[in-house]
Amino acid sequence: MTEQGETGEAITILLVEDDAPTCWRLQDALVKAGYEVRSAGTLGEARSVLAGGAPRVLLTDLRLPDGHGIELIREMRQRFPDTEIMVISALGDEESVISAITVGATGYLLKDAFPTDIATTVRDLVAGHSPISASIARFIVRRTQGAAPNSAEPPPGPALNTARLTPREIDILWGIAKGFSYAEIASHLGLSKQTVPGHIKNIYRKLEVHTRSEAVFEAVQQGLIKL
Amino acid sequence: MSEIAAKAPIKAATKAPTRPRRRLIASRLVPYLLLQALIVIATILGLRLLQPNDPDDFALSGFSLRQDGVTLPVTLPHFTASRYSLDDPPLYTGSFTFRRGEAAAGWSVYLPRFSNAVEVAVDGVVVLDSRRDANANRPDRNTPQIAAIPASLLREGANEITVRLFVWGPLKGFLDTVYVGPDAALRPAYETRTLLFVTLPVVFSAWQSILAVILAIMWLMRRREPVYGVLAAAMVLGVVQAYVPPPVPPAATSRLAAVLLASAPIESALVVMFGVLFFGWRWPRYGMLLFVPGLVVFVVGLIGGPPLPRILFLVLGIPTVGLCLFLMAWVTATAVVRRQDAASFTIGCAVTIVLVCWVQDMLTVLEIVSNDRIFVSRLSYSAMLVAIGAGLTWRFARALNQVDSFAGQLVTRVREAEERLKASFVREEERARAAALANERTRLMRDLHDGLGGQLVSIVALSERGHEGATITDAARAALKDLRLVIDSMDDIGGDLMLALGSWRERASAQLRPHDITLDWRVATPQGLPLHPELRPWHVIQIVRILDEAVTNAVKHAQAHRIAVTIETLDASEGPYGLISVTDDGHGFALAGQGEAARAGQTARGLRNMGNRAARCGAVLDLSSDASGTRVRLQLPQRFPDSDAAAG
Repeated sequence: MTEQGETGEAITILLVEDDAPTCWRLQDALVKAGYEVRSAGTLGEARSVLAGGAPRVLLTDLRLPDGHGIELIREMRQRFPDTEIMVISALGDEESVISAITVGATGYLLKDAFPTDIATTVRDLVAGHSPISASIARFIVRRTQGAAPNSAEPPPGPALNTARLTPREIDILWGIAKGFSYAEIASHLGLSKQTVPGHIKNIYRKLEVHTRSEAVFEAVQQGLIKL
Repeated sequence: MSEIAAKAPIKAATKAPTRPRRRLIASRLVPYLLLQALIVIATILGLRLLQPNDPDDFALSGFSLRQDGVTLPVTLPHFTASRYSLDDPPLYTGSFTFRRGEAAAGWSVYLPRFSNAVEVAVDGVVVLDSRRDANANRPDRNTPQIAAIPASLLREGANEITVRLFVWGPLKGFLDTVYVGPDAALRPAYETRTLLFVTLPVVFSAWQSILAVILAIMWLMRRREPVYGVLAAAMVLGVVQAYVPPPVPPAATSRLAAVLLASAPIESALVVMFGVLFFGWRWPRYGMLLFVPGLVVFVVGLIGGPPLPRILFLVLGIPTVGLCLFLMAWVTATAVVRRQDAASFTIGCAVTIVLVCWVQDMLTVLEIVSNDRIFVSRLSYSAMLVAIGAGLTWRFARALNQVDSFAGQLVTRVREAEERLKASFVREEERARAAALANERTRLMRDLHDGLGGQLVSIVALSERGHEGATITDAARAALKDLRLVIDSMDDIGGDLMLALGSWRERASAQLRPHDITLDWRVATPQGLPLHPELRPWHVIQIVRILDEAVTNAVKHAQAHRIAVTIETLDASEGPYGLISVTDDGHGFALAGQGEAARAGQTARGLRNMGNRAARCGAVLDLSSDASGTRVRLQLPQRFPDSDAAAG
């Protein structure tokens, strides 16, 4: 069985992970699910693979021997905007995941996830569903709550601009953070269940800082930089 | 140390109250009294020395007095008997010699002192009538009079001068030496007396009125210090007395005279009151008796005929003034003994001076001392009042300065205190931060030890024994799960346990998915669980571990296919509380097979653990298990305990 995109070609995945056993594990799960997987252990290797063309999905670890995964995500986002990007994380901690989200990643994949879960996550991602974990949603909503406009020091953790989120999107995040399913959230908020993933995708878009100048603009908006 | 030292003399004083105290009083009083004696002498000398000099070359002393139809030669100064009628006044007749060639300038007649009023005629023509000048008739002022003698009146050689002396009792009439001579020779002496006895009192009165206004304002702004008000009242009375012209009998407005006469005793009583209040004592109620003589004079003056109030003044008012002066002297002497400060010394000396002046006036009135009947007590009293008023104003200004410097000191003190506070706050904050960090570290250690440590050890043991696959995997997964739980619990969830349960739901679902167990998640109440601002990470860990244990039991030991988690908020009389139930459809832990004793033991330990954890959070754990499944009911407390009571 081979997972195929809309064009009928096999879906290509670039897997960047420096720990060989973890890499094998993920690769096995993905290959078994029918994806075409190319793996890289370093940023350099990943870049040379990318020279051969854009993958459909990029799965990358953040701490790599020759650099940080964030750089790769940023490059990827600029060169291949259509590529879905996900972070591979051992713990799924907000610190690393949120900073990846702000440069364009969509959620994270736990390194010890069960093979079926790995395959499902990637399939959903390719299908346009952006998974969001309760802890990430919690981090974001806590930030929307706690962001006092004039507070002297920025809150701990990575910089995150939640100003553009709509109240509805924040409600959805609250639901996710509290462990409600999409269906439950949709019924609480009077939405159709199908629209929830779209909202979540929007949330990811809004959290993303697209360019350097925009980053500066956001920083000024948030009062992190004083001109 | 100083307190003990201060107490010792008091004790001694109470044991033997008389001797040391007497010695103290004597040691303070004697120098003061000596000083006052010196001041008395100085005052008497000063009064003698400051007696204005008159041009004796032009004195006329030999007069013939015609009184009550009798004519007799007299020498001026001369006293006549007290009279109550202005009819047929004593008539002094004298003569002087005028030489036209002697001086081109005009001649004048100069009367340095008389009481109460005079009418002077030269060669039968009246040149001066003092009754027209109300102030000149006041017996308490030593107003001199001078009148130019029209040149046409003067004859070469002997001229006749007659002085009609109007007297209204009870004081005796008095006529000082009369001077007739060139105006240029007489005028300086007249000017000197005018300056001393007319202008100076006016100046004092002006000062007094200004001070009265200032003191009245002070009193109005500081009602709890009546001392200013009392002094202001005394000054106002003095000013009124000085400026209102006394009527000349037989004027119809003699009632006014009574008011003026009453002013002196009332003033002196007010001054005594001021002294008492100024030195910080309470004005005794019977002190009001001091005002009685003044008021009696006042009332009698209002209803009685003209001579009566004056007589009353003489017998009541003046002794009252004297009494008040003595009282004042006593008050100041007491203050000097007690306080030994500049204010009491100064006022004491001033009182002594006024007292000497009063005694001198008394002696003059009683004709024991002859000093040309110059009264000085009113003048000295005015000077004293002005001095006191100036002193009070000075004290007030000094108090203001003290307030200023106090405010400055206060600002500095507050700044210092603020800095100290800031420093201690920073220290305290650091200490608190360090303590919190240490606590957190301890908690983290315990949590890691409870979960991750044991699991890693178990992994090591399993690997060493050559176990393969599933068991090691399970142990490692458990370790990872626990690590995530510990990390997760560190996050600030703002007292909302639902946020922690949301993450737990994800982890539990992931855990159950390979086992094909569905996790039914039901939040019965819209808000889920009540908010607990006191919720701490260690509470969260305990609760999540209880739930983990329940799920693990259901998976491992009960072979369940469905696990349902129900979250609801129930209302009790004391308020809402949360309830989390985990129900499975397994065969229950009580029905574990006979041969699985070890596993049963493990389950029992797990259950005991769950109970302990619940107890540490103040929650109530309720387990029920039968063949149709197990139900774990975790009833959350209304308030999570602050300290980990069961941890120690």
